[in-house]
Amino acid sequence: MIQSTAAKKLQGEVPNVYPSIPDDTSVALGSPHSFFRFMNNDSSRGVVIQVLVLALFLFGMWYLFSNAANNLDRLSMTFGFDFLQVTSGFNISWSIIPYDSSMTYWRVFLVGVLNTLVLSAFVIVIGTLLGTVVGILRLSQNPLISQIARGYVEVVRNVPLLIQVIFWFTVVFSTLPAPRKSYSLADVFFLNNRGFYIPTVDLSISWWWITLALGVCGASLWGVVKWAKRSQRQSGKRPVGVYAALLLWSAVVLSLIAFLSQWMSWNVPVLKGFNFREGAFLPASFGAAFVAMTVYRSAAIAETVRAGMQSIDRGQHEAAFTIGFSRFQSLRLILIPQAVRAIIPPMTNSWLAATKDSSLAVAIGFPELVSVFMQTSINQTGRALEIIAMVMGFYIVISFVISYLLNKYNDHVQYKVR
Amino acid sequence: MEKIHSDTERDDYKPLKKFVASPARPPKRETHGVIGTIRKRFFNSIGNSLLTCIALAVLFYLGKWIVNWAVIDAVFVADTRRQCFDTSPDGACWAGVISWFNGLIYGRFPVQEQWRVNLGVVIGIVWLLPLLSKRIPLRGAILLSWVALFPFVGAYLFLGGRFGQELGLFHGIMTCAAFGYLLLIYLNLIKALIGSKTIAVAGLHLLFVPFLEKRLSRRVVAISSMLVWGGLSAIAALFLSSFDLPLVPIERWGGLFLTFIIAGFSITMAIPVGVILALGRRSKLRVIHWLSLGVIEIVRSVPLITVLFMAVTLLPIFMPSDVEFNKLSQVLVAVCIFAGAYMAENIRGGLQAIPKGQFEAATTLGFGYWQTMFLIVLPQALRMMIPNIMTSFISLLKDTTLVSIIGLFDIMLMARNIANDKDWVGMHTEPLVLIAILFFVLCFSMSQYSLNLEKRIKVDR
Repeated sequence: MIQSTAAKKLQGEVPNVYPSIPDDTSVALGSPHSFFRFMNNDSSRGVVIQVLVLALFLFGMWYLFSNAANNLDRLSMTFGFDFLQVTSGFNISWSIIPYDSSMTYWRVFLVGVLNTLVLSAFVIVIGTLLGTVVGILRLSQNPLISQIARGYVEVVRNVPLLIQVIFWFTVVFSTLPAPRKSYSLADVFFLNNRGFYIPTVDLSISWWWITLALGVCGASLWGVVKWAKRSQRQSGKRPVGVYAALLLWSAVVLSLIAFLSQWMSWNVPVLKGFNFREGAFLPASFGAAFVAMTVYRSAAIAETVRAGMQSIDRGQHEAAFTIGFSRFQSLRLILIPQAVRAIIPPMTNSWLAATKDSSLAVAIGFPELVSVFMQTSINQTGRALEIIAMVMGFYIVISFVISYLLNKYNDHVQYKVR
Repeated sequence: MEKIHSDTERDDYKPLKKFVASPARPPKRETHGVIGTIRKRFFNSIGNSLLTCIALAVLFYLGKWIVNWAVIDAVFVADTRRQCFDTSPDGACWAGVISWFNGLIYGRFPVQEQWRVNLGVVIGIVWLLPLLSKRIPLRGAILLSWVALFPFVGAYLFLGGRFGQELGLFHGIMTCAAFGYLLLIYLNLIKALIGSKTIAVAGLHLLFVPFLEKRLSRRVVAISSMLVWGGLSAIAALFLSSFDLPLVPIERWGGLFLTFIIAGFSITMAIPVGVILALGRRSKLRVIHWLSLGVIEIVRSVPLITVLFMAVTLLPIFMPSDVEFNKLSQVLVAVCIFAGAYMAENIRGGLQAIPKGQFEAATTLGFGYWQTMFLIVLPQALRMMIPNIMTSFISLLKDTTLVSIIGLFDIMLMARNIANDKDWVGMHTEPLVLIAILFFVLCFSMSQYSLNLEKRIKVDR
């Protein structure tokens, strides 16, 4: 291609003294043997190589799967997903959807998936907030603060996550007092070596009403904020009415809560025998995994945030300072909105890593997907092939979803270039 | 657009007054000098002063607590955990860690055979020592020989067994060749130190010289040094076959030793696997592109622990029933693929940063695909990506702790096992703290070294 376009260019300016080079070099080489001529042609050689690689790949696959078929035959096992309808027969220590041992393996899979998702969602949200704060502290003018933040980041980043997870579990959460001597906050929240007990709300009417009320509150608040922003943009001043509106809004919310509370009853955990009854409960393994992973993730995110902030031109800091912005204002209005553009792509990777890292909770017995499905269920059913395919499929789907959503958001925040 | 232009050409446009700079004010006294700097940096506002005080208080109490726990109240000599508690209930019980120290380093390797591990490590380091000197040519060949031959030496020393029998004849021959090559390197070094000024070290390229070189004198040199290599290997064979090393099964490997084996193997294999996958992903041939893309994306989107579980449970299913596996080799295969997929993305980043002109220049010189890649593009891409590659190595080293979950006795599992020893029941904190410090020192120094390299590369460019 390059040669022929160059030749064309030449033809326009100088008399063509060179013989034109044909695209098919094999003709020029004039190899006597047709096989060599065939192999010297880029496209035909490419086809040969691809066919060979594909054949090799298919052969490898066939070899592996025929071995698998033989081995399964030998062990008189079958392949199929029918085991998902079988009763599992084992208990899971904690789940957010109702589960007991009489339910099926499909339910076990769902329990594992939801536990993994809950753990990683908590880690992602809190870890991102903490990481942003640490990343900003890392850039503090005060050397003491920035060095403490640096020390935190370096220590946390350079110790393997597994060590940290096990440390938090065995050293911190398992050495909390027994249920009878648990720490309590106002006799409503309890913390002991089994976990964290919190009160729950029982409703005598449908949950849809609460959802509806929340929706109304959220929508009205959103409307007020939007109106305040628009009039501030138009007039340059924040309208006084916004405070009145916010006051009105909170009055409405309070009266709504008061109105709904006649159907609500608090379900406070109480100590009965050796353990707490009523209320909801987060196991100690969840606490340890959550704290360790949040701390670990926050260190990674702090580095991302710091790099993003440092990528902003120094003039932006100075300009913000010049027009009289305080440090907080310049961070919120000038620096962070610009840093977000540089931060989003590495942040995506960090969140994906957080989801994958949640599998390490298997080491302390938190019932997430790998633990309940890949360990216990494989041991119980022996369906290694199907179960591993399902678990890997779940992780692949999750990472595609997260990266798709964040790519969309990334397109939205990047500079619009025409 | 139009408006802006008309603005500057207003009718009432008046030239600005001549600007007269007022004399510069002297700098504020309170921001200069030691006290001024401290005041400016630490106490310039109420919030900052508060922050400084809180940080100092936290640092003081944390430091005091750590020193008390780890040094002042700690017990270094005791026989059981009970004794530790009796001596000092609030301090660390380092006595337990000290009594298990050997286990943390060597795992369950028999004590009287541990010299073999030390010897193996020493040989590995001695082999690489010539790399430190910039005067030695063909250091790449020495590195390559280490990658290709040292594993045989390591396997021979660590596993043992009668020479050439338990591990097979091929392994025996390769071990001899490795020892012979090591001797050859050092013979050459000594010869060069005594005789000529330039140090010529035989590289693996000597294998190809006799076939490529047309000048007779060079061919003679190459063939003669190959003969010397053969002779040295024969001497090594005679020496090695004169005694037997007791067999140590892989199940007894453990501790830091095993961690280093897994990390070292995956680090050395990550680059070749990564290069192949990255080149495949950039290939114009559709089939190769999609296959590499699939491997990279699938492996990168699942956690390492699932890959390890897969290797342990699925490899026996997918292989013929007469193939026997040990857990270590399954784990090594899994870690290799995993590390390779991550490395491929690093290398791809480097490949994309190479300007198109380099490819075109190579084509102009008449280089084919492989010549372009291995002589022009990859050396530059790898060099450019050294910081990222180092980051990958650090995370690989950290990730090796995961093999403890599937039951390999690496340093992590050894540390957790101390709590099951009847003398030291329930001792979790001290071993965990110790290995955390160990990993911190290793990873932190690696990351500082990579920062250093990054700066040097920036200067070079």
